[in-house]
Amino acid sequence: MQGKCGLFFTSYKDEAQIFQSGFQKIMIGLLILVLCAAPFLLNVYMTSVMNLIFIAVVGAVALNLLTGICGQISLGHGAFIGVGAYVAGQCTLHGVPFPIAILAAGLITAMVGMVFGVPSLRLKGIYLAIATLAAQLVLEYVFLHGGAMTGGSNGLLLEPPMILGFSFDTELRMYFLLFFFAAAALLMVSNIMRTKYGRAFVSIRDFYLSAEIVGVNLFWYKLVAFGVSSFLAGVAGGLWAHYTGYISAEQFNIALSISYRAMIIIGGMGSVLGSVFGAIFIVLLPEVLNAVANGLGMFFPDISHYIVALREGVFGMVLILFLIFEPEGLAHRWRLIKAYWKLYPFAH
Amino acid sequence: MRVGKIITAVCIMLVAGLMLFGCGGEEEKSAETQKATTPIKVGGLIDLSGPTSSVGRPYAEGLKAGVLYVNEQGGIEGHPIKFDLQDTAYNVQQGLSLYKKMVNSDHVVCIQGFGSAVTEALIRSLAKDKIPDLSASYSAHLTDPKKAPYNFFIAADYSTQLRAALKYFYSSWKKDRAPKLAFIYPDHPYGLAPLAGGKAFAKELGFDIVGEANVSLKAIDATTELLSLKELAPDFCWIGGTTPSTSVILKSAKNIGMTDTVFFSNIWGSDENLPKLAGEDANGAYSNQSAAIYGQDVPGMKVIEKLTNNVPQMTHFTRGFVSILVMAEGMKRAAANGPVTGETIKTSLETLRGFNPMGLSPLISYFPDDHRPNMAVFIYVIKDGKLTFVKEEILARRAEWLGH
Repeated sequence: MQGKCGLFFTSYKDEAQIFQSGFQKIMIGLLILVLCAAPFLLNVYMTSVMNLIFIAVVGAVALNLLTGICGQISLGHGAFIGVGAYVAGQCTLHGVPFPIAILAAGLITAMVGMVFGVPSLRLKGIYLAIATLAAQLVLEYVFLHGGAMTGGSNGLLLEPPMILGFSFDTELRMYFLLFFFAAAALLMVSNIMRTKYGRAFVSIRDFYLSAEIVGVNLFWYKLVAFGVSSFLAGVAGGLWAHYTGYISAEQFNIALSISYRAMIIIGGMGSVLGSVFGAIFIVLLPEVLNAVANGLGMFFPDISHYIVALREGVFGMVLILFLIFEPEGLAHRWRLIKAYWKLYPFAH
Repeated sequence: MRVGKIITAVCIMLVAGLMLFGCGGEEEKSAETQKATTPIKVGGLIDLSGPTSSVGRPYAEGLKAGVLYVNEQGGIEGHPIKFDLQDTAYNVQQGLSLYKKMVNSDHVVCIQGFGSAVTEALIRSLAKDKIPDLSASYSAHLTDPKKAPYNFFIAADYSTQLRAALKYFYSSWKKDRAPKLAFIYPDHPYGLAPLAGGKAFAKELGFDIVGEANVSLKAIDATTELLSLKELAPDFCWIGGTTPSTSVILKSAKNIGMTDTVFFSNIWGSDENLPKLAGEDANGAYSNQSAAIYGQDVPGMKVIEKLTNNVPQMTHFTRGFVSILVMAEGMKRAAANGPVTGETIKTSLETLRGFNPMGLSPLISYFPDDHRPNMAVFIYVIKDGKLTFVKEEILARRAEWLGH
């Protein structure tokens, strides 16, 4: 019995499949099974880290859609996540069911994102970055001075999510809820990339003038990119708000925007898988550094304080090293590893 | 290609390290749990490397010294306290995951926290896990057990401190017109927190509120903001910032000749570093404090001096020390009635009535429906570059002030 020695497609439809081979489908199935079993095997702390990763995945894939796929820089995603958090929080505080609150969070954030995305028609690159930075600052001001709407400096205290009377009040329950949203976000962006809109986004990123010449309405598609990206950011915010149970203006500052930017740079711009890798990396980096610091602390007392103080430095260094040696991110590295094993032992 | 191999190797090591660290978390020494000397585990979530680390570090040193002292005195009914100090870097996500690790893997029974952002983000989790958090974030809304049942702190909240200072200045006012008051604060949750309560009480007392100005916590000059205030000639000016921003405000005020105004600052707005930063200009500035300063003549200071070999420590150190003393008192009361758990520590803390932490801070009481530790503030003034005690101002425990 002889198999094929590669993937051959006879139609565009086949080529555009998300999972192109049977092997891939089996592996994805296995991964889902492993992820479903994981929280029962992991301790609560590890589960909580996974939960943070799931939320970060939603936020990172949102930003990657805008920056990596459509080429529009946004420094305001931290604040967009905040808008989602406050909207979802206000909705559930007023008795709106959680799924509808999340949807509302997404839609209202999408509207806000589109408003701040309007300058993208005229502005590119660093200029757009500054325009979206303004969005960040304006929204931070609104969070802090929103009165009863945002709780001002006191913030908002929220209950755990409740769906049809079932309360997601433990890490384990939250795990499955967040897993669902992360998977849905990934599926959504993967599918968008296969549509006319996805191709338009990529063409705008690659060269806006060519895109316009072949008939892509730049303004409309850029606006849609801002809208969809902000929608997902809003969903991430809504999830974060209900996961922590408390939101305040301090949580959605420029540092959050930068940390999401770091995720997609490290993970790989323009790659859905890269967003996942980046989210995992950035969420785990402080945990690993802490573990290392505590581990060393057993042998060298008091060293842990020096190491934790280095964390910000390590974070910056990791970013620089990635930009120099791995500009295409972890997703590229993953492709190389896959190729290596596919050809093993006959590389080259 | 070699670089690529190195990166692959690093990634593999990272993954391997993660797996190891994932496997290592759950080891429990069950045989030892029966022994009488089983330590009582306490987690510390302090900013040691972030934006507030300049005050977080001395505070953490105070916590460590407190634990050392309690253990030297025999611990909690013979059980030593095991204190696990971790750095949050003032980052909510980091604080959250450290907290989950402490509570679920390390099984701490109490948290010593720091910083509004992290403390507030934990409110829900603390209540759910029934773990008390004695933190150094003195926001008034954390004192309402209806909202934050497991949050405690050992100093009067920001609003109470501001009200107490206003009362002190009003009672010492001699002229026959209403004193004029202005507020300077950063546009930040910390700066805004006590403002509404303070303004309402100032009006109630009879102050004439003439103006306000925003000065950022990171400001390097405040001349522009102060020039407009100077026109209004306030007699008193509240500074709701941190020590660096207070020093900038004091220097700018001196530069533009705002010499008739008395400046008074929040608990984090003045410490032993203020005279170092503002030099001569710091003299005459008042501040609210909640702990004795190093070398002050109170019984607890002798203990601290011995523990620190007479090396002067900041007032934040003393507050950290007091925070441990209060927690230890709660644990002792809990231990006297049964096992020491988060829940019993909380209920025991709520039985404290006028607990005196060796004179290091005002007397501390907690009630099941009111977690305000006290209504008192120590007022200090800087004289010849030194923090000098002026008065302990005590307010009535008004019900309507709870949480505001």
